[in-house]
Amino acid sequence: MTATLFSRRLLSHEAMLALLLALALFTLSRLSDSFLSSANLLNQVRLMAEIGLIALAMTLVIVTGGIDLSVGSITGLSAILLGVLWSKLGIPLPMAAVLAIAGGMVAGLANGLIITRFGVPPLIATLATMAFYRGLAEGLSQGRSVRGYPESFYVLGQGDVLGVPTQVLILLVAAILVGIALQMTAFGRTVLAIGANETAARFSSLPVDRVKLIVYGFSGLMAGLAGVLLVSRVTTTRSDMGMGWELDAITAVVLGGASIFGGRGTVLGTVLALALIQCLKNGLSLAGVKADGTIVLIGLFLIAAVLLGNLMDRIAAR
Amino acid sequence: MKSTFYVTALAALVAGSAAMAQSAWTGGDDLPTNPLACDGTPAATAALAYDGGSPTNAPDRAGKPITVVDVPKLVGIGYCNATSKGIADAAAEMGNMTATTDGPTEANIDDQITILDNYITKGVDGILFAANDPVAIAPVLKKALEAGINVVGYDANSDPGARQWFVNQAQFNGIAKSLIDNLVAEIGADGSFAIVTSTFTTPNQARWISEMSAYSALCYPDLKWLETVEAQEDNILSFNQANTLITKYGDEMKGIVGMTSVATPASADAVTQSGNCGKVAVVGLATPNAMRPYVQADCVKSVVLWNPVDLGYAAAYVLRAAADGTLQPGATTVAAGKLGELSIINGSEVLLGSPFVFSKENVDQFDF
Amino acid sequence: MVAAPSHRATQDTGWPHRWLSGHGQVLVVLGAIVALFVVVSFVNQRFLSPANLTTIFSGNAYIAVAAIGMTMVIITGHIDVSVGALIGVLATIAGTLAVAGWPLWMVWLAPLVVGVLVNTLAGALVAYAGIPSIVLTLGFLSILKGGLIVVTGGDWISDLPRGFFLAQMKLFGLPVPMLTALVLTLAVAWWMAHFRFGRAIYAVGSNPEAARAIGISVERTVVGVFALHGLFAGIAAVLFATQLTIIQSTVPPNLELMIITACVIGGVSILGGVGTVIGAALATILFATITSAMIFTNVSAYWLRAVIGGLILITVLADVARRRRQA
Repeated sequence: MTATLFSRRLLSHEAMLALLLALALFTLSRLSDSFLSSANLLNQVRLMAEIGLIALAMTLVIVTGGIDLSVGSITGLSAILLGVLWSKLGIPLPMAAVLAIAGGMVAGLANGLIITRFGVPPLIATLATMAFYRGLAEGLSQGRSVRGYPESFYVLGQGDVLGVPTQVLILLVAAILVGIALQMTAFGRTVLAIGANETAARFSSLPVDRVKLIVYGFSGLMAGLAGVLLVSRVTTTRSDMGMGWELDAITAVVLGGASIFGGRGTVLGTVLALALIQCLKNGLSLAGVKADGTIVLIGLFLIAAVLLGNLMDRIAAR
Repeated sequence: MKSTFYVTALAALVAGSAAMAQSAWTGGDDLPTNPLACDGTPAATAALAYDGGSPTNAPDRAGKPITVVDVPKLVGIGYCNATSKGIADAAAEMGNMTATTDGPTEANIDDQITILDNYITKGVDGILFAANDPVAIAPVLKKALEAGINVVGYDANSDPGARQWFVNQAQFNGIAKSLIDNLVAEIGADGSFAIVTSTFTTPNQARWISEMSAYSALCYPDLKWLETVEAQEDNILSFNQANTLITKYGDEMKGIVGMTSVATPASADAVTQSGNCGKVAVVGLATPNAMRPYVQADCVKSVVLWNPVDLGYAAAYVLRAAADGTLQPGATTVAAGKLGELSIINGSEVLLGSPFVFSKENVDQFDF
Repeated sequence: MVAAPSHRATQDTGWPHRWLSGHGQVLVVLGAIVALFVVVSFVNQRFLSPANLTTIFSGNAYIAVAAIGMTMVIITGHIDVSVGALIGVLATIAGTLAVAGWPLWMVWLAPLVVGVLVNTLAGALVAYAGIPSIVLTLGFLSILKGGLIVVTGGDWISDLPRGFFLAQMKLFGLPVPMLTALVLTLAVAWWMAHFRFGRAIYAVGSNPEAARAIGISVERTVVGVFALHGLFAGIAAVLFATQLTIIQSTVPPNLELMIITACVIGGVSILGGVGTVIGAALATILFATITSAMIFTNVSAYWLRAVIGGLILITVLADVARRRRQA
């Protein structure tokens, strides 16, 4: 009984998001002719792919009741790793990319260890590693950028596969995989259980620590992948890459209906929220609103959307 | 006790960092330098072949009204406001250009790229930009060229193939020479100085510092560079860092060079508030409005800059000429409204002129 | 099992004892500061000079003041990521009014009033509309940061009148920022331990249901805490705005993260219910000490942030180890 009520409430949030998305698409296309073209929309997915990947992983993290503030720094770190491994150590580029992504995963696992083994609250742990990983990126890069990658590398960030931007495919595959993992596997059920009541989950002999480790490791992995994609998109590495991305990802996850306290959230919600935010950013700009005005509107929209979601929750609960 | 262990670990970390001191950070980059002659003979500028990009199938815009977007490094900095003002002045003067300034709220690459991408989609006739990173901005600028948009850069260059022309405020080595010459005029050829810059990832500042060290090694070998500190775009941090430098070196440091329009006034504030006006010289790049109180109090003798309003103004005119087709690859000069004919060097760079030095005599004439 | 001293009943045990045993993190931070001072003064004696001490204690004082408000917010189990943008906005308000010729006392008071108003709204939305504080303040961050540029057009404020520069003045021989931070920190620490509202903050943070059961209005406490946070943000903004001759219209980058990190290092628990403003103030001093020490010991700027990050990690792990020992 509660399960259907629960899923009905959840469904209503995604439905509300879908409705808002449709509304946004309609309004913005009225405000500007260039908005609703397939070229533009596909391009927007390309631009949001990096944050999208991070937000997918952040969904899992937030559903467990945790948070990961270090994703932006891990993005920067893996970008630097890619550059340094390829140019300084002469490792072939595909291998360097794999190692860079693996480096991101290791950083995420380190986060997970600090949280599970040492019992540090996720906010504090990732606040600390956020500074540390960024520092590592700056130190390893010594302030130098690495450029001059072979053209074949740019297919990831700037090219098309089967007629759509590469990032669209990557994001789609990732979203489907993470969505299946969360909704339909035992792993996903454990993630939800941890967020709903961690103590109860532990007493039910669920592998709480192992799942948390996987979740944070995955977050690092996605951040690493995002870093590699970014380097491919902008053809250079900088140690300040990814700054501020953690807040963008958290915004998308929360807007998508996940509870910041854990136990509730869907990948569909996150994806819809990502689409909504990107549409707004793009559509408003095309309609003539400048960058500073756009972020004001997005902030207002975020608050309004959460208020609306809360209101609908209260109505559905009656 | 565990706490003592952690405290000692802390102290060890700091001591260990002190051992890492050998790699002294100058703030410069690794690119080759080209110092000017000490006595001011201008460098022989070899006429290089045109190395800029060109738009694909640009429509005929000669004489027609055009819409232009100006994307500075970020908004909210006095210097970028000044360049935008110059662009707006030129547009008003021309009568057939509508210019909008739209920049990121932080100096990062992805926001700037997104803004440019949006305007390409929207369809503008021309793009004026100041790049946060010369390589990162290249793909999106090339996309603009392929869409038939005219692209002209100013203040901070991109890879040459990604834009048609670049309006250079002054040559890197010219700025370096001016800064060092003004510094030496105040502290003597054997004085010691420190540098306050933004971060080590800012390309322009890194270039200037490299050229400064090459020029001073050439012309003032006894000039002693003490250290470079970074202070991002945070003026209170710049203030604190400058104060720390003053305290650390005491009488040994005779001058501070500020590399950004944030660092120089903050350093001047540090010097004034610590009572070192006249004892520690402050030389640097800054806007006259920010430095006026110090210049008038004789605390700062010279502020090196160029006129950013003129810079924006020239950039707008260059874009107009490129859009009209009156400025073609291979040209050696370009007409820029009230600034007259500007020379073109290095293939596709339009030179605004020499650095301009603001001092007590002329600082009141400017409002930016 | 021996009950930890902090569980003993009331303040009859003398609050220094109870305070010290429940707040060992403060000792860790203090120890770190002392260690740094000792080590660096061996390298360069000028580290201890009055001018440098002023830079360390006064230069970051505005962060310490903002951290007072943030500590209270975190203790109640909430967070505010918009405080940096708020300080930028309030500083611009002060500067604009000053240039427009308003009397100085009003110029200095206006940021406090606006700060309280803005954050009361935030607190009300959090407490009564049920919006999680991280989400709400993320939204506020965007609104304030973008709004500042929209309104000022990015222009800096110069031509500030003489007499405006409160932070450059001295009172009783101490620079105003240092004095302000010191007085406010001690006053609030004492108030939180002894006055009803202050202790309600801790109650709401550790167990809102229990607090409700004994008659504390959780909502009103949260709104009150946010309002106070706005007040301290206003004071911080005044110190920030009056230190230098020009006021930037950009928000100091990463200011909110610095403030939150200072609170966390100072021993505030994100789980709510534990912490003290004194820890946060000391942590701010620690940051300033580290930044200064890095220059004095010639640490390469490339590794600066890694060192700071490492220090934060060590302090956090030390705190955890300490709590484990107490449990």
